[in-house]
Amino acid sequence: MSTFFDAWHYDGKSAVRRKVEVQIIGTQFYLLETERRHGPFAFSDVEYVTHKVDADVYGLKATDGWRLMLSGPVPADLNAMLPARRNYGGWVDRLGFGKAAVAFTLASAAAVAIVLLSPQWLAPLIPDSVDEKLGDALVGDFGGRFCSTPAGDAAMKKLVASLDANPDDLQVEVAKIDMINAVALPGGNVILFDGLVKQARSPDEVAGVLAHEIGHVREKHVMQALLRQMGLAVVLGGIDGNSGALVNNMLSMSYSRESEAEADAHSMKALGGANISPIGTASFFDRLSEMDGSASSSTSDNGIAGYMSSHPLSRSRKDAFEKSIVKGKNYKPALTPTEWTELKTMCTQDRKAKSGFGFDFN
Amino acid sequence: MNDDIFQRHSAFRFHGSWLEFARIAFPNLLLTIVTLGIYRFWATTREREYLWSKTEFIDERLEWTGKGIELFIGFIMAFLLIGLPLIVIQLISQGLIFRGETILAAVITLMMFLLLFYLTGVAYFRALRYRLSRTYWRGIRGGSDDPGFQYGLAYMWKSMVGWLPIFLLVPWSMISLWNDRWNAMSFGPHRFSATAEWKPLMKRYLLFYLVPFLLFIGAVVFGISMAASGGTPDALGGTGMAVGAIFAIIGVLSFYLFLPLAALAYYSKYFRLAVGGLRLHNLEFDFRARAPDWILFFLANIAIIVCTLGIGYIFMPYRNWKFFVDHMEAYGEINVDELTQSETVVAKHGEGLLDAFDVGAI
Ligand SMILES: [Zn+2]
Repeated sequence: MSTFFDAWHYDGKSAVRRKVEVQIIGTQFYLLETERRHGPFAFSDVEYVTHKVDADVYGLKATDGWRLMLSGPVPADLNAMLPARRNYGGWVDRLGFGKAAVAFTLASAAAVAIVLLSPQWLAPLIPDSVDEKLGDALVGDFGGRFCSTPAGDAAMKKLVASLDANPDDLQVEVAKIDMINAVALPGGNVILFDGLVKQARSPDEVAGVLAHEIGHVREKHVMQALLRQMGLAVVLGGIDGNSGALVNNMLSMSYSRESEAEADAHSMKALGGANISPIGTASFFDRLSEMDGSASSSTSDNGIAGYMSSHPLSRSRKDAFEKSIVKGKNYKPALTPTEWTELKTMCTQDRKAKSGFGFDFN
Repeated sequence: MNDDIFQRHSAFRFHGSWLEFARIAFPNLLLTIVTLGIYRFWATTREREYLWSKTEFIDERLEWTGKGIELFIGFIMAFLLIGLPLIVIQLISQGLIFRGETILAAVITLMMFLLLFYLTGVAYFRALRYRLSRTYWRGIRGGSDDPGFQYGLAYMWKSMVGWLPIFLLVPWSMISLWNDRWNAMSFGPHRFSATAEWKPLMKRYLLFYLVPFLLFIGAVVFGISMAASGGTPDALGGTGMAVGAIFAIIGVLSFYLFLPLAALAYYSKYFRLAVGGLRLHNLEFDFRARAPDWILFFLANIAIIVCTLGIGYIFMPYRNWKFFVDHMEAYGEINVDELTQSETVVAKHGEGLLDAFDVGAI
């Protein structure tokens, strides 16, 4: 049993400051005032609060505002019973600052890596029903912008069937929007914009682009991108504002190049399987890259800019498609001349479809 | 025992030094970076612990007992309860626009905006409540039993009323909301009473409000007097053009200079009136910073940030707190026997909502 003199105490019930002596009895202690004795209190309930002027301030679990302030050299037996001082808090104090900083860096890098890589494994695990519901919610009837004629639909159906083994779980539509673009959305939805179909010089060009978008669907790129975006939003949510958004965009951009290459590979394989020449798709990219190089500032319409931003590097992709040509193979056109005309003029013929767009893609 | 406040110096005194603060702020910055921002909750807590412990009220330092984990949980809650639903609502309204249901989408977006507006009000209230409940003086803390949901409604309608007559009633809404907020708060057994008046604020507000018009009128008068003095560009030659250009630059600069200055002049008056209307039992408060103090403070902050290429930003919490404490004043007396522990509930989570909306507390 020992007594320590230089201590101040607030009991948490009133703001009266009390000069006390700490009387230690085993694992418990009393606080002695001239005429009063507070306690007993258990050392196991004591917690470190803060450092104030030259005193360490301790609190007591479950007693709001209870304070014991010890200044000067604290005797060893009392010191041994008190909890450790807190500096950075929990983990950092236990590891030490340097080790904690390294550990946090590694953990952060691992978290970012998981978010970037796991969608590849996670996306196939998402049930098709969720994918479809999301697609329905997003696309619906596209504000009545889908074009439809019996002959045009039949031509599109034939084209899809030649490019994919399970055409039934794909919804391919042509939208009456004058943009050179095409998108793959959740639920097997592929939308070709009329601007792209109109400017195509052969059905083979449309087949290549369509097979590319089907590639996005089959490789589950849409769900991957969605998961990745959400994961990055969570992981980088801690970084404020612009820097977070910037990092986020850069990371998801670098990803989309990769999936573009995958979709291109899928497209070349599908064209090969359908006996459609990839030369059409190559010349399509050729024209795009010419427009991109020469006319980007003056005559460019938003159509090209739109396709370029989501499908970059047209020239190198053109080379890839050219290389996939098999010499001596007996290619046949993707559609007959009549079918092609029907598909190309479908949106002109369908007067009920609404035109233009009141929204932005990104 | 009565503690009378001697008027030789303010009841509030700040004893911190920026060198000590730097030893907290720089490791905080490093840990925040390597944890992708997650450490910032603990960083904030460490900074407050330091600032509070260096703040003396009468004869005892303040204590900050908030925990990093509380702020972290608050942030997670805000993300789950507000962030995620917002993302879902945004997806739905985008889908509706896709389908051409623009009106429904607009209604949903408006509802979302109103909800955010309401929650911003609640967040302001709860941040103040959280801060008071974690601030101890002589073992006694503050708080409020009001969850702030009513205040959220008041925040909505009073802000609207403030804006409706071409923003002329903004001073009324600001003062009235300050009073609402503080009237719900207490420290120990005593409730705050906030009775600030808004009418004395109108003159400053009109000054701020009219600055753009005054500048415009000044420019017109200057132009007319130039013309009247017979100075045509031809007659004055190159020097005339130069003088004209200089005046144009001064005009633009003064717009960007006078407007913030007028805003600061208004804010200094607002804060003085708001704090001046505050009472706690037998204590009255005063904030002595006047417009020139605020302007100097503001300019020094900008200079520090610019000269340190932005790193000085980490000292802003220190500078803000020092400015606040240095100019705070209290009169009256406290009976420490009567100052008993607060009975208010202690919320387990911190300023999550506020953190999510990125607004300041006082
Ligand atoms: Zn693509």
